[in-house]
Amino acid sequence: MNISNFFNSYLGMYIAQAFCHSLVAALIVDRAIQAWGITSPMVRQRFSLIVVLFPIVSFPLYQIMNPNRGSVSFRLESLFDINRWLNLDLWGIVTVNILFILMLLVTSLVFLFQEMIPILKHTLESSEEEVEEETADNPIVKKALENFPGQKPRVSVIDDDEFILFSATGKSSTIFISSGLVEALDTDQLQASIAHEVAHIEKNKRPLLTAVYLMRMLMFFNPVVLVEFRRMVQEEEKICDDMAVEMTQNPGALAEILRKFDYKREDLDLRKMKSLSTLSVSLEDYSHNVHLESRIKRLEEGSEHRAGGEWLKFLLTLVVIGVINYFVV
Amino acid sequence: MRKKVLGLFYFAAAIAILVAALKVTNWLPSVLQEGAMKKYGSIEEVKSKLKVRDIYVPSYFPQSVKWPPSRILAQSRPYFALLMEFSHVETSDVSLVISQVADNGPIPEEKLRLAQIKERATYSLKGRTALLEVGACENELPCSRISWNEGKYKLTLIIKAPPFDLLKIADSMVN
Repeated sequence: MNISNFFNSYLGMYIAQAFCHSLVAALIVDRAIQAWGITSPMVRQRFSLIVVLFPIVSFPLYQIMNPNRGSVSFRLESLFDINRWLNLDLWGIVTVNILFILMLLVTSLVFLFQEMIPILKHTLESSEEEVEEETADNPIVKKALENFPGQKPRVSVIDDDEFILFSATGKSSTIFISSGLVEALDTDQLQASIAHEVAHIEKNKRPLLTAVYLMRMLMFFNPVVLVEFRRMVQEEEKICDDMAVEMTQNPGALAEILRKFDYKREDLDLRKMKSLSTLSVSLEDYSHNVHLESRIKRLEEGSEHRAGGEWLKFLLTLVVIGVINYFVV
Repeated sequence: MRKKVLGLFYFAAAIAILVAALKVTNWLPSVLQEGAMKKYGSIEEVKSKLKVRDIYVPSYFPQSVKWPPSRILAQSRPYFALLMEFSHVETSDVSLVISQVADNGPIPEEKLRLAQIKERATYSLKGRTALLEVGACENELPCSRISWNEGKYKLTLIIKAPPFDLLKIADSMVN
């Protein structure tokens, strides 16, 4: 099949327009967050949701509204027609649509190797593997749990010098913490870290991210959705930070723990990167550190924890995205 | 309140910039490279701009069809395609569409579409084998279509009428 004909088929139009619609949505959401100074991670996550979910349904929805939306007449009057770019010949060697397909392929591979396979592997391993653990007889953990606000969670200590902290949800939710981390933290900090994991467990009772992830899988080829979903995951951490602070009333302790997790950051020197893999690892570390630092900063500065409201702004943004994208084909 | 109004103003300005940027981005390919689908004022303009010599135009028109074409659309990328729409003298509705498409490409737009085909037959058009189809358009009015290959092009004519006039028009397009 000719590639330009593919992008005139329904599947081709869906793929190309999903990319354009998510890009336009991402730009509008970004401006909306800036314009209204939205700082609440919960509201920011809600706005990101538009970027991730809107392109899944936009094309079929618009086609139902107007079956002639793919026609030449409509395209000529549209705000943006991606086919005008896709059919461009670059120096008579390659057409833009080949490069576009390559970009989609790379995104699909990133999704497969960085998200799909690790998640499947983790699911399989966690169902088979038993974690070597001590029950919460650890005196430091016991002390931290004594004054823990609300229901006391189940905490298991893993015998490991590395800094490890995670929670397992399900029938009996458990927080796992490594002995190395327990030794490195004081009681307040330990309480704050447990509170952060309790927040994850609480949030997992209404697993919005999991539901979004399942839907977002349909957009495996879409680089904008890939980035935006990762941003949503980062916002999730900030939401749990806020919940932990609400429980412990001690943002400083949580900031201290995050600082311990913060890697010793070296300046990113591209000349020192010997191979692409080192570069990729360094970029990942760099982005991880930036994220940790932004979390530390908002804990130290004391952020507004407004989670409610902003619905009017959300709806206005959604409507604007819907109207503009109607004319993006 | 002032902060909210300012925020709204800033958001509106950002949207206006985005719309303008989309318009510019949409216009840019036509500057970088000629040949994307667009409207032309005349057939001569298509010939000169897209550097196409062979454009098939009928020399016969029934009285009900208005000359010149009410709309001409053409592209040279990714394949050559030309659409000429002709209006009805009285109603100004599109009553005849002629398309000329190269390299077996699909017809980019079908303003008139045969929704129902009642009869299909091959027809000899000055030595060429043409396919004649008779049926009804979407509004259930009688419509007919004829198509054949002319060199590297595929020519398709569709008229909002029974086939008699269509055959005369097609006949006048080839030698």
